[in-house]
Amino acid sequence: MSVVLWSIRRIAAALVTLIAVSVLIFASVRLMPGDYIDLVLGPLATEAQRAQAVADSGLDAPVMEQYFRWVFGVVTGDLGYSFVSNVSVSEEFAARLPVTATIALLTIIVTLLIGIPLGFLAALRSEGSAGAAGRLVSALGISLPEFLLAGLVVFVVSTLGLGLSVGQFAAFSTDPGRFFGSLVLPVVVLSIGCVAVVARNTRDAVMNVLVEPHVQAAVARGETPGFIVRHHVLRNAAAPILTIVGALVAVLLGGTVIVEFVFNIPGMGSYLQTALGRRDYSIVQSAVLLAAMVFIVASLIVDLVANALDPRLRLTGGSSR
Amino acid sequence: MHKAARAGMAIAAIATLTLTGCAAGASPDATPTQEEAAPGFLSVADDAFDAGGDLVVQLDYDTAEASGLDPQGAATARSWMLEGLSYETLTTIDENLEVAPKLATSWESPSDTEYVFTLASDAVFSNGRAMTADDVVGSLQRLLDTPTTWTGQLGPVSSIEATGDLEVTVTLSEPYAPFLSALANTPAAILPIAEIDAGEVDITTEMLGTGPLVATAHRQDEEWTFEPNQHHPDADALGFATLTIDIVGDEATRAAALRDGSADFAVLNSIDSAELLSNAADVTVVGQKNTDFHYLMINSLTGDEALQDEDVRFAINSAIDRAAINELAFGGSTEASGVTPAGLPDACVAADLPSAAHDVTAAKAVIDKIGGLELDLVVYTDEPVLAQIAQVMQQNLAEIGVTVSIEQVDYATYSARVYESPADFDLALSWFAGYADPAMVTTWWNPEVAGFSAVFMKGSDELDALIADGYTTEPGADRAAVFEDLCALADEQSEMVPLVLRPSTIGWNTQSLSPTLTSAEGYGDFLRYVTEFRAN
Repeated sequence: MSVVLWSIRRIAAALVTLIAVSVLIFASVRLMPGDYIDLVLGPLATEAQRAQAVADSGLDAPVMEQYFRWVFGVVTGDLGYSFVSNVSVSEEFAARLPVTATIALLTIIVTLLIGIPLGFLAALRSEGSAGAAGRLVSALGISLPEFLLAGLVVFVVSTLGLGLSVGQFAAFSTDPGRFFGSLVLPVVVLSIGCVAVVARNTRDAVMNVLVEPHVQAAVARGETPGFIVRHHVLRNAAAPILTIVGALVAVLLGGTVIVEFVFNIPGMGSYLQTALGRRDYSIVQSAVLLAAMVFIVASLIVDLVANALDPRLRLTGGSSR
Repeated sequence: MHKAARAGMAIAAIATLTLTGCAAGASPDATPTQEEAAPGFLSVADDAFDAGGDLVVQLDYDTAEASGLDPQGAATARSWMLEGLSYETLTTIDENLEVAPKLATSWESPSDTEYVFTLASDAVFSNGRAMTADDVVGSLQRLLDTPTTWTGQLGPVSSIEATGDLEVTVTLSEPYAPFLSALANTPAAILPIAEIDAGEVDITTEMLGTGPLVATAHRQDEEWTFEPNQHHPDADALGFATLTIDIVGDEATRAAALRDGSADFAVLNSIDSAELLSNAADVTVVGQKNTDFHYLMINSLTGDEALQDEDVRFAINSAIDRAAINELAFGGSTEASGVTPAGLPDACVAADLPSAAHDVTAAKAVIDKIGGLELDLVVYTDEPVLAQIAQVMQQNLAEIGVTVSIEQVDYATYSARVYESPADFDLALSWFAGYADPAMVTTWWNPEVAGFSAVFMKGSDELDALIADGYTTEPGADRAAVFEDLCALADEQSEMVPLVLRPSTIGWNTQSLSPTLTSAEGYGDFLRYVTEFRAN
């Protein structure tokens, strides 16, 4: 199968998935018990107040009309308005997306810089103390849930100082130093789990390659370990490692919700969480759809890169997963 | 798992327990203090404290009302407090929970249905225009003409007239004792009616009042910035330059902010936070009493069929150990309450209620007669103490043969299950704002008036009559007698069962702030005396 045809098929599949996701999100949000009207008006509100609020929020329109209005808005860049603040969801996303993206990007950078070397080290020195250390870090990182880790970090930092503080976010435009400073702890918390996952999968991928016949042959030929890693292991282990990095996007999408809440970072995660609690439909629908898009696009990119690195995948018409 | 990895995990676990456990457990007394600094006050701002800095307050959630920032539509204590920074009312509540002058400097009652208010001459809206009697008349009339949650609390107002440049007369169709207290809450704020009528201001998006502060920025669920209203009489005496209110959802993060000094003042929901902060030398945590109280709803309409029987409901009520709830969920910082909030004048005494006998044997006999009972108890997760109360109740009710299954859900789900028809629960926990007059909250025991309770309780004509008597009877012994009967009847009927008062846990950093905080609050406004705060 040619790269172009393969790519077209993958993109078409991604679009179909997105449409299905949009229906699923829309339906799920409306099937959740309780709604915005009950929440913000409270139990003491009069029927007249309820009727007015329903009309004001557009929730009196038929459900199908609401769906297509939303989809049309998404396609045209109008994501609607928050029921609570009446602020444009697009505007809010524009302000918050860069914050979350920065957290995610920094986390991925830290993860790659630490996780991959650690994984290699653990694989190449699997019997030594470095291997044990790698396995220890992996086990710890994978075992600790973000909410626990974040809570622990908040407590430790506020108790011991360490030159850091929690909940001190400032917009990049206002104070770049404080902006990045406020992201240190969230990135550390997210990175611990991600590093563990990447290190463990890198180790497994490398160890799988190390036992392959062409590597054994290279060893038999007396090639140096460095040469073997560079020429025989790296390329062959890259595809599964890339796949895991792509999957990390999904982990980060969930993880940022927690760290943004705990560290009081005004990003997409905390916005979604608050909106979910208030059944603020426009925000929840669009944020989840955006998350799905990010995941789908990330998977697509990973598959494309993996294919470029390993043409055997293309022949089967699918990714390594 | 590899041996080294297991060892590492063990070390990490021990380190975690050591870090959290030691810090939290070292204090001999970790309950929020209720010790008074002066009569009626937990803290009084020190005039010598360095002032003029930025005051940073952290709250757990923001105001969120369908009516936006229009104070008349404010239905929750959080909205009352935030909007109360920019708006003022004719009357206010003092440290003894008694009605005190505010925009009305004095008033007279020529008869028990007539109130003549003399208005402050120095009240000026933040746009620089002086408040007039027309603003007062227009504001109260607007509240009557556009019914909101608070309209009913104003009582039977028949007319509002400007009877002088700075005089307004309100006439009631019948006596209504809580009238002055009802005027003291933010929904009865005085609005700039001339500007509203002229379409010059949209008070659903902008706050324009005579209050001490002006909101200069607001990002929903993130942050408020307030600056002094330069036209306010207290503007020059304010002990801070700006007020920033950060909305920080996580309790531990707010506690951490107090500890590391990034917040001056914060509301804490759990008494556990006091324990967590007990080793922080620069943090004081106090428990402010409220007239708010937790209560149990027993669904006599669509819950378990057995709950239609008043004897069964009363058995459940009488099996609940309020003292245990106080000790286990509140660290002994609260007290039991009847329908009329404990601590308010003329309120009934919880210890005198029929259920206070706590006759577990009799209660068990009732439940045994129907062969035991299995009930669900719904609580919402936003208020962690509800789950703690539920756990105590679960144990209490197990003693009489009632098996309780606790269901923790988010508030939207809770709201749908409890307040929508048909109500889908057996038992549910929540809390009422107790307000500043004991008659006000009794309204909710009349399902026809309350509305929300009609889906799970029947009420009774007898109870409704006592509620009406409570409104019209003058404060004093006669009213106390009415409330005694009212509380006892509601206790016997056991459809909405008051449990204990709901105190606020509040902390501040003593290095950066000297606040004034009353020992008790009627409207949940712990920033009521913010004009006296001094922050450096």
